[in-house]
Parts: sequence; structure tokens; C-alpha cells
Amino acid sequence: MPEPDVLHLPLRSQRFLFSEISVKDGQRVSSGDILAKDPDNYAVPLLAPRAGLVRLKKDENHIVLEDIAKLEERADIAEEELAHIKREMGATGIKQYKLLVLGAWQFFYDAYTGALPDPLGTPQAVIVSTLSLEPFLARGDAQLHKRLLNFTRGLEQLQSLLEYQPIYLVMPDSKSEFANQIRNHIRGYAWVRMFEIPLIYPYDDFAILARKLGLKRSEGPIWSVRTEGVLAVDRALTSEKPCLVRIISVGGTGVNSPVHIKVMPGYPIKKIRDECVFEPAARIINGGVLTGEILGQETLGLDVECRGITVLPELQEREFLGFARPGWDRSCYAPCFLSSLRVKFRERYTTGLRGELRPCVSCGYCDEVCPAGIMPSLIHKYLYRDLIEEADEARVDLCVECGLCSYVCPSKIDLRSQLVESKDLIAKEKEEIRQEQLRQEEARKQSEENNE
Amino acid sequence: MKWLLRVVDAVRPTFEEGGKLHVLNPVFGALEHFLFAPSTRTIGAPHIRDPMDLKRFMSMAIISVVPCAFAALYFFGLRFLAMIVVSYAAGLTVEALFAIVRKENINEGFFVTGILFPLIMPPGVPLWMVALGVAFGVFIGKELFGGTGRNVFNPALVGRCFLALAYPKAMSASYLAPSVDSLGRLFKYASAVDGVTVATPLAMAKQMPPKMTSISHLFLGSVSGSAGETSAILIILGGIFLLLTRVANWRTVVSILGSFIVLTGALVAGGAVHYEQLGLLNSVVWHLFAGGLLFGAFFMATDPVTSPTTNTGKWFYGIIIGSVTVLIRNFTGYVEGVTFAILLGNIFAPILDEAIIAVRIRRLRSEG
Repeated sequence: MPEPDVLHLPLRSQRFLFSEISVKDGQRVSSGDILAKDPDNYAVPLLAPRAGLVRLKKDENHIVLEDIAKLEERADIAEEELAHIKREMGATGIKQYKLLVLGAWQFFYDAYTGALPDPLGTPQAVIVSTLSLEPFLARGDAQLHKRLLNFTRGLEQLQSLLEYQPIYLVMPDSKSEFANQIRNHIRGYAWVRMFEIPLIYPYDDFAILARKLGLKRSEGPIWSVRTEGVLAVDRALTSEKPCLVRIISVGGTGVNSPVHIKVMPGYPIKKIRDECVFEPAARIINGGVLTGEILGQETLGLDVECRGITVLPELQEREFLGFARPGWDRSCYAPCFLSSLRVKFRERYTTGLRGELRPCVSCGYCDEVCPAGIMPSLIHKYLYRDLIEEADEARVDLCVECGLCSYVCPSKIDLRSQLVESKDLIAKEKEEIRQEQLRQEEARKQSEENNE
Repeated sequence: MKWLLRVVDAVRPTFEEGGKLHVLNPVFGALEHFLFAPSTRTIGAPHIRDPMDLKRFMSMAIISVVPCAFAALYFFGLRFLAMIVVSYAAGLTVEALFAIVRKENINEGFFVTGILFPLIMPPGVPLWMVALGVAFGVFIGKELFGGTGRNVFNPALVGRCFLALAYPKAMSASYLAPSVDSLGRLFKYASAVDGVTVATPLAMAKQMPPKMTSISHLFLGSVSGSAGETSAILIILGGIFLLLTRVANWRTVVSILGSFIVLTGALVAGGAVHYEQLGLLNSVVWHLFAGGLLFGAFFMATDPVTSPTTNTGKWFYGIIIGSVTVLIRNFTGYVEGVTFAILLGNIFAPILDEAIIAVRIRRLRSEG
């Protein structure tokens, strides 16, 4: 992709909100400088991907970098902070701090909550996944291409942060060239435990992997990271350089030809659109086709967490007697169309709902596909009757938001968003209860002290 | 079909808010969406959806009973067509009235009930009884519970059960003798008045002395019985199609037929049930093919709404239906028990679900 002239860095991404801006309007920055921080997420930084001139007021919710130049990047590390960390935490602490300020920590997730783990904490285990199975997203092997050495070095760096905690390397259980190559490369690393999973979405989900590995939520955070994250660890710790570019995919049924591109955050979406999208009415999605968010007109650049851009043509036409078609060209979960007699093929997906909203008929498809082993149809019925407690009992919190239940539902019920909403609600209520209990505890202690 | 879409678009304002025929909006909506798939788009993740909708889902069920409907037409005459028309007309009226009152859409589920109901009626039954039965079934069996997806009992079976209890004489006197011509009754309209009525195979087997219909007749369908239940081979073919499309769950069918075969086999082997001319195997096969067991197992009990939602529940549900059928057939005054057995299974379905979901939730408790 061509170098852009202007970068539009969104202040909001899926997990982060960079509300603490540390540059001034009109300031010149070099690449690697910290532009803003997210105070709620361990001050995770938004780095300047290129040298340029900062414009703060040009676009709402964006930091705009004009007059872009590709100069030598530098690590923006505050010396006094470093000295402080060194006193407190020692050598490991410094490494972890570097990961944070050099932009590598953004690639880490907590397996169960999906949130950013504490950069200075200790995990119970680390999960490294070489897979990315959601349709149209950047595949792990594409990101690893020609960089296998960096990957293994990154694993070594990662191990140096740990004491005895295991690193699980998640691999496809295939005999592919790529899988063999990785296996050969890390043969000597006794501290890496291989874990093979089938190439089926969403087996690569960190929460599902953690459950399969028998890791418990109560026993501490589980750091989870994909290929790109390990590469970032290598870059940050081995060569001490900020992580500014990432490889993302541009795919979906609305692009000319799907590609993997190397881009930096803030890359103008318009440019990608002009370059790759041929559909006049297309939906641009930040992320995969099953879990991504629609990129509205107000978002001008790629955010720091973008893993891929998926483009889908919007449904335009109304089909005559659609339900009675033989369906040679539409692939269906249940073999109810003639296409089930065909060998595997790629269907041309659009954003159509492909049916009308109906009450649940308990067909059981969602229960069958749910990778978390919960019962979406049951929880849907609980939520319909406002039985939040029952939904909690039915472990709605185990939902990994993969979107398969909504995808297969013949009644077109938006199960995913219902589950996600109730999950968030329950988590919030539980947090409130916990805070309240803490406060009461505090008050009781206080009064006891006063009595004495 | 652009012109038709233009017509639909032109007519739509009449049925919308403020239009003259706004009351009939559900009817218009059903017709419009029958002709043209809606252009609704997804609003968030997941951005793509499976092509399957409830219309396709129900179409599969209808397609699977088409062979049985042809058999009914062939053996019992054009009268069966009239029964289908009456069933749809009466049932749709009730369905549409409720949709209008509730200001909801007309749901596709009825189209299955509308074809299943005449198939489980005696072929010579007066048409007014068809209308009454299906209206009762849809009204009491479905709409009073809240409509599609919320009913406890299979609406078609509720209608049949009502007629069987309210008009037992008229029902049992309406079993036409099947046609023996090579062309069948494809071009004849026969009714209970002019056609010859005979007892069903199960009734004849209970007479003294018992008269056993041959298995080959039961297999092909040239016996008397409810319109769609006579031909074992066509039911099995349609049923397998339904199982292959995964609209019906195979667990229900396997457990009904399995428990039925095992229990009947045990009764025959133990001497509790005895047939002069037939051996053990033939007695079991005879019972399997006779009456409405196959039709009930493949098309009625598999209704996803009224059967348990859990797979384990479906196994128990099937066992209840299979064994209750055997008990009613052999140890009560009734000659046939599938209707009652499935309705009883429907009663048990929520309880089974409750128990199995409790177990599953207990197992989930320690996860993650």
C-alpha cells in the first residue's frame, strides 16, 4: 500500500479510550512518540506511527498527523519512570514496562475477560495462538511469513518475563508445511507446550482455549496473545523499537481481491476503500464478518487494535419466492438447500438478514453450534421474561460472542447481542455488589477502630 | 418479476398506518413476504446470516409429507383435496384473526399444521368437522398459549383429539376402504356416504376373532385408516428426507420406534400379545406399520416447538411416546393410541427439559 500523506488516529478502539492527550496542537512529533494515553487501561499509550505535525481539532475524536515523514523511529521512554520501575520491580519489571510504552502490550488480552491484563502483574499461564480463524481475518501464517525467527525470539523474550508459568502454543492440528516448520523451530523449547486444535472457527478464541486447557478464572490472569503480539514483543525487547505497523487483512465479498497489507494505525480508510472496494454500496467492517463493528463515516482511520477490514456488499434486491428456490448457490447450516449436494464452495455473502424475525421455535441449532456449551435459546427465553438471575445461572458469562448462534438462527433472532447485553449487565451488577460489600467492610472496620 | 414488485409497492400504502385497509396489514404482509423476500439488512455482528429462515424450515416439513398426501389422494379420492382446502381456509382464518388482533405477523408454522391435520383425519369425515377440528386445534392448541413457539401441544393433534372425543361415532364411521383400481381414486370424489367404510387394521385385529391385514398391504398403504397414515413406505421415505434436512431431530424418531419395537417385541415374546398367524418378528413389524405410529413418529412428535429442546430430553420423550402407544394399543379399550401418546409426551416435554437443563447447568457451574 502507498504511504499516506495524513494519518487519522482514532482516540477510541475496541478496548481503549485515549483520553489523556500528551501533545499540543501544532507540535512536531517523531515516530514512536506518545501522543495520548488511556488512563483506565494502565496508561496504555497511543504512539505516533510516523513523524509529523499534530492537529488536535481537525477531526472529532481523532488525532490527525499531517506532513508525514518516515524517519528513524525512537523509543519514547521517560528515564525517571524507568529508574523508579527498576527500583521497585527489577529487570523483569523493566521489560514489562518497555512492552507497555513501546506499544507491544496492546496485543495482550486476558483470556476470560478479553480486557488488557495488568502489564506489571504475573499471569497463571500464557496462551500464544498462531491461529486466527474468523472468516476474512488476517491469518497467523500470513503474519509469520518469513519471520519465524523473530517469532521464536519473541517466545524466548516472553518466557524471560515468567518464572515457572507455562506457555501454551496453539497450533493447527494439520500436517501443513507451516505447522511442521514451527514445530521444528521450537523443538528445543521445553517450556513451550504445544496445543493442537482443529481449524474451525471459533476454536481460536482465548476463553475457549483457556477452558480447554483447564485454566480457571479464579487462579489469576491468563495472558493471551496472537502471532502479531509475539512479533511485537520481539521488536520491543530485542531491538527496543516501538511497534508501529501491523499486518491486517482486507477481505470480504466486496473487495476486488483479498490482500494482507502492512499498515500503521491512523491509515485513512478512504484510501483502502478507493484501492480495494468495487461495490458502490458496501459495508466496511472493522474486524471479522461475525464479530466486527461497522465502521461509520465518522471514523477516518484505522484504530490501534484493528485486525482486519471486511467489506460486504449491502443487500439491494428483493428475491422473488426466495424461500422456495432450490438454493444451489447458498450454503446453509442445515442441509435444506440443493447446495448440500455440492462440494464445498464460496458463497457470495451480503448483509441481508435473509428472512423475517419470528419467535423461537426451539429448533436447537444454536445449542448445537455454541462453542461455549451454553444454551443460547434457553437464555433468550429467560431474557424474554426478564429472568436475569436465571440467565446468570445458565452461565451467560461463558459466552465468547462468536456470533454463530445469531448466524444459524432460522427465526433471525439476534441472539448474540442479547447475550452480550445481559452478560455486560450481569457483570456490572456483580461489580456494583462487590464495591458495595467492600464499602460496608471498610465502614465496619472504621467503626470498630473508633470504638476502640 | 419487477412488475409484480411494482404492484406490491403500489398497493402497500393502502395497508399501512392510515390506509383504508390497515386492519388487514398482517394478511398483506404475509402475502408480500411470501412473494418477495424482505430486503432487511443485519444491523451489527454477525453481519452475514444463514440463508435458512422459518419459511424454508416449514417448507421442508411440507415437502416431506407430499408423498403421503399423494397416497391419500390415490387411495381415498379427490375428497382429500377438499379436506386440505377446508383445513387451510379454516385454520388460516383463525390464524389471521389472531394476527390482526395481536398486530403481529402471520407465522409460517400454520402451513404445516394445515397440511398435517387432514392427513391425520379419517378420509371420509364430513368437511365441517375438518373445519371445526383445525379451528379448535389452532385456537385452543396454539393461539391461546401465545402463538407460534409458545404452544405446549401439537395443534393438529389437539384438533384431532377434540374430534375423536366429541364425535367418536362419526370419526370411526369415516374410515373409507382404499381404492383397489389401478388408477386409484385420482379422479373420483368418494365420501363416507357413497364410499364403503371399513374398520382400520388395528380395529380388526382387536375383533373376535382377530382379522389380520397383511403386512404388504400395510407397507404399500392399501388399507383403511387416517388419510395419510396408511402407506408405510411413503411415510418412511418422507420421514428420512425430513431427518436428512435436520428439520426433524433423529433422536425423537429413533427413540419412539426403538422403544416401541422393544416393548412390543417383549410383549409378544412374553405371550401377553398373541397373534395366530404371525411369528415374533412379523408381529412387531405388523404393529410398526399399522395405524399412525410411523406418521406420528416422523411428522407429529418431531415438531420442535412441542418436543423437548434438549437432546437428552428427546430420548426420554421418544421413549414415553413409544411405550405409551404400546400400552394404549394393547391394554385399553382404544385401538389406536398415537395421538394420546404424543399429547402425553407434549405434557412431559417441559418437565424433561427442566430436569435435564438443571443437570446441564449444574455441570456448567464449575466451568471457566
